[in-house]
Amino acid sequence: MSASSEPLLVLYNLSILGINISITSAVIVIWSAALIVFLLSFFAVFQAKVVPGKLQSIIEVIYEFFDSQTNELFGEQKNRWLPFVLALFCFILICNLLGMVPGVYPITANINVTAALAIAVFLAYHLAGILSSGFGKYFKSFIPKDVPLWALPLLIIIEILSQLARPFSLAIRLFANMTAGHLITLTILSLIIIYHNIWIAGFPFLGRIAIGLFEIFVAFVQAYVFAYLAALYIGLAIQEH
Amino acid sequence: MMGLLAAGLSIAIAGCGAALGIGLIGAKSVESMARQPEAIPAIRVTMIIAIAFVESIALYALVISFMLIAK
Repeated sequence: MSASSEPLLVLYNLSILGINISITSAVIVIWSAALIVFLLSFFAVFQAKVVPGKLQSIIEVIYEFFDSQTNELFGEQKNRWLPFVLALFCFILICNLLGMVPGVYPITANINVTAALAIAVFLAYHLAGILSSGFGKYFKSFIPKDVPLWALPLLIIIEILSQLARPFSLAIRLFANMTAGHLITLTILSLIIIYHNIWIAGFPFLGRIAIGLFEIFVAFVQAYVFAYLAALYIGLAIQEH
Repeated sequence: MMGLLAAGLSIAIAGCGAALGIGLIGAKSVESMARQPEAIPAIRVTMIIAIAFVESIALYALVISFMLIAK
């Protein structure tokens, strides 16, 4: 289901126990995104100053924004879960922005990458619930009290479906937004080839600039929405007593 | 041929719904911003998030229509 315009190059064939884990261009982009996030945050707070420099103030703005947004959600367990949400935001943002560089494989426009991130969130918020209220108590909290016995199977089915819908919608939202952005860029630029007229070629060029600016905005908003929803699910799991 | 028609119809109907939703969000946000100018930053952030949610529902339909075309 990959609708991206960039081909996936296999650089090094590798398989363990019959599972194909070849080093592809997407893997290289993921590694470099992780490295960029690490280096940016490391050099920002390596020698933290009272009067922050440029890099340090960017990281501080991101931190303070998420700190104020998740205050009510996490409560006392903020130190445990805020780093996860911040890492998600920074990683997805860098991935989205890297995907806009021509020639780089757009990894967030690949359903496998977004599904992996969504599954990580799925596991994390169940772990948050189990850590905060114990294994049995957490899973008991899914069933409301004083429920008649005949309604129990229906409730369990609805609960399982809504739990599965969460990672699915997280993955599809990020994937669809990024894919749509790349496809719109491709469509606008292919107008030049379709019309084959030098007097029209300027309009797709200007349109591509406008779409590019909008895509940068979408990259920020989608990274924020992903991280905020992860924070929301973790907060809900913590508060279910 | 029917696949192309279905692809076009799916994104068209989803686009109608999403446009209506974004319009309602925009109208109500402008109304509340005018009524309470000191709450503009909070309203703006919430509005952008709500628009992102509505937009992603339309993009689900876009994914479906691409799957229909690619079939």
